[in-house]
Order: sequence, then C-alpha cells, then structure tokens
Amino acid sequence: MNDRLEKRLADIVLYGSVGAVLVFFYIPIATLILFSFTESRFLSWPIPGFSLRWYGELLADRSFWSALGNSAVLAVLATLFATVLGLAGAFAWSRYRFRFQWGFRVLTFAPLLFPQLLLGVVMLLWFSVLAGWLNMSPGLWSAVIGHVVYIVPFCIVIISVQMQGYDDTLDYAAEDAGATRWQILREVTLPLLWPGIFSAATFAFLLSWGNFYITYSLSGSARTLPTFVFSGIAVGSSPIYPALATLTFVPALVLIFAVDRLRRRADRKRALARAAAEAG
Amino acid sequence: MAMQDKSWRDGALQLSTLPLLVIFAAFFVIPLGMTALLSFQGTQYYRLVWTWDLDIWRDVFGQWHYWRIMWRTLVMALVCTALTTVLAVPIAYAMINRLSKWSHHITLLMVFAFLTDAVLKTFGWVLFLDRSGVLNGMLAGLGFGPGAVDVLFSPTATMIGMVYNLLPYTIFTTALSMARIDRDLVLASYDAGATRLRTFFEVTLPLARPGILAGAVLVFVLALGVFLEPKVMGGGTSPMAAELIRQSFETRVNWPLGAALTIVLIVIGALVLAAAGGLAAIRMRRSKA
Amino acid sequence: MPSPIIEATGIQKYYGDYRALTDISLSVANGEFLALVGPSGCGKTSLLKILAGFEDLSGGSLTIDGRDMAGVPASARPTRMVFQKLALFPHKTVAENIGFPLKLAKRPAAEIDAAVRHMIELMRLKESYLTRFPHELSGGEQQRVALARSMVSQPPVLLLDEPMSALDAKLKKSLQAELKHLHRHVGTSFVHVTHDLEEAMMLADRICVMRAGQIVQLGAPAEIYYRPADAFVAGFIGDTNLLPARLTPEGAGLRFDCDALDCAAPMLAPGQLAPGLEQGGEALLMIRPEMLRLLAPGETAEATIEGEVAEFFIRGASIQYRVAPSGGGAEIVMDLPGTSVLPAQAGDAVRLGLTLSDIFAVRP
Repeated sequence: MNDRLEKRLADIVLYGSVGAVLVFFYIPIATLILFSFTESRFLSWPIPGFSLRWYGELLADRSFWSALGNSAVLAVLATLFATVLGLAGAFAWSRYRFRFQWGFRVLTFAPLLFPQLLLGVVMLLWFSVLAGWLNMSPGLWSAVIGHVVYIVPFCIVIISVQMQGYDDTLDYAAEDAGATRWQILREVTLPLLWPGIFSAATFAFLLSWGNFYITYSLSGSARTLPTFVFSGIAVGSSPIYPALATLTFVPALVLIFAVDRLRRRADRKRALARAAAEAG
Repeated sequence: MAMQDKSWRDGALQLSTLPLLVIFAAFFVIPLGMTALLSFQGTQYYRLVWTWDLDIWRDVFGQWHYWRIMWRTLVMALVCTALTTVLAVPIAYAMINRLSKWSHHITLLMVFAFLTDAVLKTFGWVLFLDRSGVLNGMLAGLGFGPGAVDVLFSPTATMIGMVYNLLPYTIFTTALSMARIDRDLVLASYDAGATRLRTFFEVTLPLARPGILAGAVLVFVLALGVFLEPKVMGGGTSPMAAELIRQSFETRVNWPLGAALTIVLIVIGALVLAAAGGLAAIRMRRSKA
Repeated sequence: MPSPIIEATGIQKYYGDYRALTDISLSVANGEFLALVGPSGCGKTSLLKILAGFEDLSGGSLTIDGRDMAGVPASARPTRMVFQKLALFPHKTVAENIGFPLKLAKRPAAEIDAAVRHMIELMRLKESYLTRFPHELSGGEQQRVALARSMVSQPPVLLLDEPMSALDAKLKKSLQAELKHLHRHVGTSFVHVTHDLEEAMMLADRICVMRAGQIVQLGAPAEIYYRPADAFVAGFIGDTNLLPARLTPEGAGLRFDCDALDCAAPMLAPGQLAPGLEQGGEALLMIRPEMLRLLAPGETAEATIEGEVAEFFIRGASIQYRVAPSGGGAEIVMDLPGTSVLPAQAGDAVRLGLTLSDIFAVRP
C-alpha cells in the first residue's frame, strides 16, 4: 500500500476513534446536564423550555440532603482509612522484600479483581452474622469497611507507581545526615511521595462517592447519592436526578483538575532535577 | 528503586502490613469462607437453617433456569470483553503515539467520565436512548420516523451500558503498556524498512500484549458481576447472574442460594484469572529462556 | 603518626554465599586523605557503606573516632557521606539542604543560618543560590552543595562515593583541585572511593588498591605507581609494559633473563623486587612508558629494545609510541615529551633505551 495513503487512513481511524470515544463517554453526562434545565416534568426530547425549577425541587428534598450527608461521611472516612492503609501497603508492596510477600500482594490486590457486587454480598453475609452477635444492624459503618476493602488496592497501586520513581539514596542521605527513621519519613519520603498520596486520596474519594454496588449491598437503610438515585429511578424518573448529576459533576471536575495540576508540577520538578543531574 | 529486605520482626514491616492483614482477613477472607459455608445450608420460612447438605448445590446445577442465566452472563461478559479490548487498542495507540501533546487532557476527561457515579451515567443513557429521548428526538429532526432507534430495554442496551462502564479499564491498561514501549524499538522497525501498519502489528501490538491481556481479564471478571446495566438499561428483560444473586438475597431471602451462586461466579472469575496468569507466566518464561 | 580516626580490623562481609569483603584491616589517620580504588565489584563501595553504617559487618570490628561502631546506625556515626548521585533533596532549597544535618541535630536557627552561609562561602557558591532548588543549579554547583551538606556539621570523617564519576573531564579537574583545597583547609579525614587511579594519585595521601574483596596494596601514591605489589596493581593505571622474565639469585642481587631486552649486565637490586621475588623465579619486568627513550644511531643504554613503530598518538604533553619489537612479543609502549617535530614516524625502525634502575619486577 502507498505509505501516504496508509498514513492518511491510519490518522482517520486513530483520531476518529479518540474523538468517537470521548463523545461516547460524554453522551450520558451531557444528556443529564441538558435535562437538568428542563421546564417539563417529563424527560423527553425536545425540551420545551429552560428553567432551574428542578434544582429547587432537589434542594427542597429532605432525603436528598440526608443522602448527600451520608455520601460525604462515607467518602471522607473511606478516603482517610483507604489512603493511610494504602500508603502502608505500598511500602510493603514496593519498598520492602519479605517472606510471604507474594501472599500479601495477592491478598491485598484481590478485591480489585472482584465484581463489586460479589464483594458487597460476601461482606453482607458476614456483617449480618456479626450484627446478629453484636446486636447492631448493617449501616454506614459496614459500608465504610466495604469501601475501604474495595478502595485500598487502588491506593496501593497509585502510591506504588509514585514510589517507582523514588530515589532511595535520598533516604540514605537523610540517615547519613543524622535523621531517625521517623525523621526520614517526615522530612524526605512523605514530602516526595505527596503527589502520589494526594492522587490516591482523590481517587479514593471519587470511587467512594460514586460507588453503587458496595453501598447498595452494605449500607442497610442508609442511602447515599447513588443508591438514592437508583431507588428513585426504579420508582419513576424525575428531572431532579439530572439536576443532582449536574450539581455533583462540578466539584468532581474541579477536584480532578486541581490534583492534576499539583501532580504535573511535581513531575516537572523531578524531570528538571533529572535533566540537570544528567547534564551536570 | 531497590527493595529493602525486611524480617517479620521489623517494626516498619509490621506497621505497614499488619493493619491491612487484619482488615483483609476479617472483612475479606473470613466472609469468603463464610459464603462457602452458607452454600451448604438451607432456608425455611425465610430463615436460615443449618442443614449442612448439598441441596442448594443440587438445585443450582439441576435447574435449567440457572444454567440459562449463567450461560447468558458468560456470553455477555465475553462479548463485552471482546468489544472493549478491540476498541481500546486504536484509542490507546492514538493517545500515546499521535496525540501525545493532548493525551494528558484526554486522559483527564476519561478519568472524570470514569469516576462519575455509574448510576447517574446509566440513567443518562436511558434518557438518551429512550423512544422519546435525545437520540430519537434528533433523528426525528432529521426526518426519521418517531422511535427510529428502539434499543432501550433490550440486551443491546445492556451491552452498550456495560461497554460504556468498562471500556476505561481496557483503555487505561493498554495505554499504560503502550507508553512503556521503548520508542527506539519502533524507530528500529521503521529503519529496517517496515511500514507503520507493519510496525504496529510486528512491534507495538506484541509488546503491548501484557497490558491488553490484563485489561481483558479485568473487564471479563467485572462484567460477570454487573446488574445495574441489565436492570436500568436492559429493563430487567434479560437478567444476568448478579441480578439472580440480588434477588435471592432481597426478594427470596434465600441466603444459601445467593451464597452458592456467588461462589459459582467467583470460581468462574478465578479460573479465567488463573488461565490468564498461566498464559502470561509461560510467555514470560519463554521470552527469558 | 597521629592517632587513627578509623580502625578496621578483619572486616568480613557476605551476601549469602558471596564474599564481598574478606579480612579487611585498615587504619586511617586523623586528617588523612585515603583513596579506595579498584575495578567495579572489588568491594570498595561495600567497604565505604560499612564505614557509613549502611551495611552491617559479617565479621571483624570497626572503631571510628575512638568508638566501637557495632550497632551504631548511620545517623549516629561521626561520618558523613557524599553520594555518587549526590542525593540532594529535590523538595528542599539549597539552604535547607545544606542546613539539614544541623536541623536534625536541633541546633538554633541562627546557628544553622551562619553555618550555611559559611559553607556557601567555603564552597565558592553564590549567596543568591540559597533560596534556589537543586534542579536550578548546574551539575558542578550541585556537587558543591552536596559537599557543603556533608561538611556543615564538621564531621571527623567524610566519605565520598565516586561523587565525580558523572562529570565531564574539565569540570572534574577543577572540582578535584577544589576537593584537595577543601581537605587541606578543614582537616577532616577523607575516604574517597573511585575507580580512577589517576584521580586517586592526584588527591590522596595514601591509596588502598582493592581486588575481589581484599586489599592488594596500601601505600603512598608514588609507592603504588613505582613499586606496585603485583601485576594487577601495575596494570591498573595507564599503560605499562610488563615483560616476562626469569630471575635467578646472583651475589647481592638477581640476574634476569628477558628475551625482549638486550642487556650487557642484566642485574636487579633487591630494592627493585616486589614481595615474594627475593628467591627469584618467573616474573614480569614493569617498565613505565615514560622511562623509555629513543636512542640516536650509535647511542647506547644499559638496556635496549629494537623494533618498528606500529602506531603513535599525539596526546598533547606527550607523544605515545607503540613499538613492535623485532624479537616478537607484545607491543612496547613509550611516552616521549611532546615536540613539534616528530622524532619518528610509523614504520620507522627504532631503538629504545632504558636505565636498569627504572625496572621494577613483579610476580606474574
């Protein structure tokens, strides 16, 4: 085949596929944003007129506020635990070598390879038994545990990736300068891993915030935003759900871009340092 | 980075592993064992009875209904895996090799779409594909009849939803392994006289295979457990295994049945994982030899 | 001799079955500049890490500054290290990097500030660099910051792990001079690891040559250069001629039998023998290239070699000739002082001469 023709064809396929997939990814998101401004009670096209009335209805809905509160509590707690445990796990994954490390890795990675519903269901069975013994019923607490088990592997992977680029001689240099283990961690290791820890925390937050399957299985009668929407649309669709979607998209988008800026700044600094060292 | 050898007596190793080990033992390993045990019990009047027999298993393997749903689940998962794997290759390739200047922003857009609440996105699809939804509304504007595209509440809609929710996994794993390919290898192939297409098939694709395989396995396993898409987009017309499990817990309150079905799905997933792991191990040994 | 600051006795280091260091005994005097040299894998870096406290001993004992180092972690040792890759903290400014050891020692801020400024001056860095980050400096400047950080707490011992291996030749030369200057100025003991024997000869008071986890020779640069312990040390620096010979005791000295050399009275004094050759036997005669000279027709010398110029290289200060001996055998290397008129061309038949006292015999 003619090389130029081949290149042209390849370009069409490649650029086309990226364009198409972005459109594909944003179809439902754009649809939701569009419908959130409808005037009508019915979610059908074309939209008869624009209004903000469904935002008002949503904000007046008490169960929305309680779901929002639950989502926030759940996400904050899950993020906190998952990030700290993920950081610890990342050390064991990528910095240490020890007996039975293979087993440790398999165990802490396994939830990532589990269909979420099954993870939730399996834990639900156990929590129901526990709850019977301890005389308490599944609720937000069990959802927090479920989220932590599900999210920790993501945090381990993200922080481990950051550790790959870490130069250990920096730790030795700190030790040589007289630092104790704790001082090394605080003064050198953690500040340098910070971009990774921060992205892990963001990822954890968003995974928890948007999680449906595990919350659905484990939160008992407590509702979070995803389960609130699920039970709502099971009964009948209403424009308050697109309004809710639009409201929650904005903070997520801001968060993702903020993390990205931070991360890129750190990466650039590292690249510069490396370039300077090589040029030296 | 260099690995430090640690003994289990080392405080740092204990601190970094023990909390995780305790949590994962208490809330992951024990529940799994519990699930296995429950599948040997029975229920009477919506209550669990500790019967210790194989009745549930006989039921699960003896009823045509379960076989059919399991079969459908497998087929759906396989089709979804094939679609997401094939679609991911050109997209990942373009992101890494053609749009490298923009790949960062594209990745961010994808991550955002990926991390957004799946229930809402699935609901968005319903609004888009509905007979009176955005797609049909726009097609009507172009002169098509009302309800020209009528896929909602069918297995096709379920598949659209599954591909939508799982495609990011294959794109990310494939792009990651393509980004790690040494650019000089590609240049060496051009230098040897290979065309772009030839280079893609002879160099890029084989080197990216681990990432592609990992993505495919991940998607397959996750696809086994979906019930949001079949319920919301498929309209419950063609339930998959996860829906069956949900029902046995919620509507039928038959825990042993739910536990047994869960075990079946986990075993299928584990077998596929083991097969993929074995395949990867064989390849690795061969390339080392 | 001043009291030793480092006293290592019978140090052993195993990694599993692999013996990285076998029975190393070594003492470093207070204020001495010691260079550890050897090919890669000889154990010089392991030894340095043991001194710094990054590796445990498998056997033997180590005393630094009068204290036994068993169980003393790196952070509590009277040593500081300059790392091969410098290991400057990328998230800390130059001032924070240099002041880090003092900050860890909980010194008052004013004292830290004064010490940092003093180091900046000593290292000839600009004061405006204090607020910069390491990546904003050039390679040579980063090197000085790393040195400053290691020296700021005035450690009795400074350990240097090939810190100049990544620099280009010119920068290396100027930093070597500066390191020597610094050593004289501060009076700290330096232990400097390098695979570059020329660098070691230039900087060190004593050189410790290592091979396969053992010390081959320990001595002043001149001793290492002119009186190597064996063929390995002799061949470690630059080019050298090693001519096979047979030694037999005769009178007070030894008579040598060497096919490559024409010699009327082939005798070596006892001072020209490496240990183990007193009774004679098979040996290699080491002749440094600069010891050879080109003979004019009719000119004589105590020993001569005839041959044909195979190649020559103009190296600036010197011209190196490679001469194929007419009697066969390995090419002879000769360094002549540089001149604008070449004394010989490739293909010329030449006669080389040398003085017998310039020969040193080592064991093969």
